[in-house]
Amino acid sequence: MSTSTTSVAIEARGLTRTFKGGVEAVRGIDLTINSGEVFGFLGPNGAGKTTTVRMLCTLLPLSGGAATVAGVDVVGKAAEVRRRIGVALQEIGLDPIQTGRELLELQCGLYGLRGGEVVERAKALLELVGLTDAADRRTKTYSGGMKRRLDLASALVHSPTVLFLDEPTTGLDPASRLTIWDEVRRINGDGTTVFLTTQYLEEADQLCDRIAIIDDGKIVASGTPEALKSELGHDVVSLTLDGGGADAVQSALAQLPGLERIASERDKLALYVEDGAGSIAEIVRGSDLRLASDPRRCLPARDRTAA
Amino acid sequence: MPEATIPTLFIPLFFLAVNIGQVSRTFPSSTPFLHGQGYVAFQLPVSLMFAVATATTGLAIVTEIDVGYFDKLLVAPIARSSIILGRLAADFVRCLAAAFLVLMVGLAFGARVHAGIPGAVLLVVMSASFGTAYAGLAVLVALKTRNVQTTQASFIVFFPLLFLTPNFVPLDRLTSLMRTLAHINPVTYVLQSIRSLILRGWVLSDLWPGILVIILTGVVLTGLCVRAIETYDR
Repeated sequence: MSTSTTSVAIEARGLTRTFKGGVEAVRGIDLTINSGEVFGFLGPNGAGKTTTVRMLCTLLPLSGGAATVAGVDVVGKAAEVRRRIGVALQEIGLDPIQTGRELLELQCGLYGLRGGEVVERAKALLELVGLTDAADRRTKTYSGGMKRRLDLASALVHSPTVLFLDEPTTGLDPASRLTIWDEVRRINGDGTTVFLTTQYLEEADQLCDRIAIIDDGKIVASGTPEALKSELGHDVVSLTLDGGGADAVQSALAQLPGLERIASERDKLALYVEDGAGSIAEIVRGSDLRLASDPRRCLPARDRTAA
Repeated sequence: MPEATIPTLFIPLFFLAVNIGQVSRTFPSSTPFLHGQGYVAFQLPVSLMFAVATATTGLAIVTEIDVGYFDKLLVAPIARSSIILGRLAADFVRCLAAAFLVLMVGLAFGARVHAGIPGAVLLVVMSASFGTAYAGLAVLVALKTRNVQTTQASFIVFFPLLFLTPNFVPLDRLTSLMRTLAHINPVTYVLQSIRSLILRGWVLSDLWPGILVIILTGVVLTGLCVRAIETYDR
């Protein structure tokens, strides 16, 4: 995760896609992704993630707006964009009767590598994604995780400057997911800008320098994972008070560090704080509370909610 | 690939065997339109057409669309037309093998190519060229519908094309309706060209209509396929 240079890898302005029948899948997206970043596009199914990726990869024409990838216009110079990008789409594009090695060697050929280069590159990539032992087996015998890794390798044959990964871990077991994360970090460590889409908050948080959240074809929030979490998420510490006195406690806690607001309802108080766990000692001390013996009534309920 | 070629040979060889078995006593070699050969020589071109005209290439492409491999090809920095032309080139090789094998079976059943070895080579090349040209139909269906079942079903189109021809008897023996349909069916001319090489030898007036049909079919269907892939998702 490095941002060694500040040049722009992907830029989109007013990106729009309307499908036949008037379905507006993407409705005016602006993006600026710097070289060397891992950028995450987070959103539920049908939010417009794949449509956006397909437009940036030159697979779908734009209905409106403009975009450059690796400094090249995706509409005017699609062929040039294709030379500079690697793409691993949601549907894993593998020919079931090819072996992993054959598939990578063919892929090398499609990207203009020749002769000895092809053999060397395929071998190096098989090693990179840990498929050397399975290299000469047909891909139909591969597990889901192995297929993903091979697909990832096939997107890297020409050392692209920008790598697009559309839901790279959807459908994978937790161990395979961690392996893919490691691969993505390693690829990014070599300087490749990575644009990935995901449905998983955790994945975006773990991998990405910056995230945009897309819903219904529009970006609804963007920033670093930390900034987004502090902007959108609170910890809520809820207190249940025996015998009332809510007003007194409320005024006693007004100066609590990191407190955003307090909501009160009869004998209950909800404290919205930045760091719930870190605030508990301060809350107990500041409000002079004595914890009740019933654990349900003294433990602060910790919750994370969207604002 | 043998596993792609052998199943497509079953139907033409089965038809050849059944037709010869059932009809050869009705049309002995003294029948004028057989030019002294057995009925197998007359039926051989039908089997050749059957063997080469398949939806195999269209099915290969629609399967690639289905599993997502097609997107990988589209996003590669290659001319999109090369995806189609590469597939058709592979189909041509498969068709050459299929036509050669069917010809060998025909020869084993006693047919002889009157135009000699060069004629035999030409009829194999013509059959393969026709098969490759015709393959464009299923490719077109694959690119337009992106549906495996529809692409598979497009094979059915070849039944009327092959059987509304002078396939069992010469053109002048057909009823007037069948003769009219055969006249407007381009496959008739390919069939007659190949049949002429087998039964009569080098008769140019029989040959050129078939060759023309093959070229036109190839230019039109391949052209439409290239346009379909250039405008895919556009």
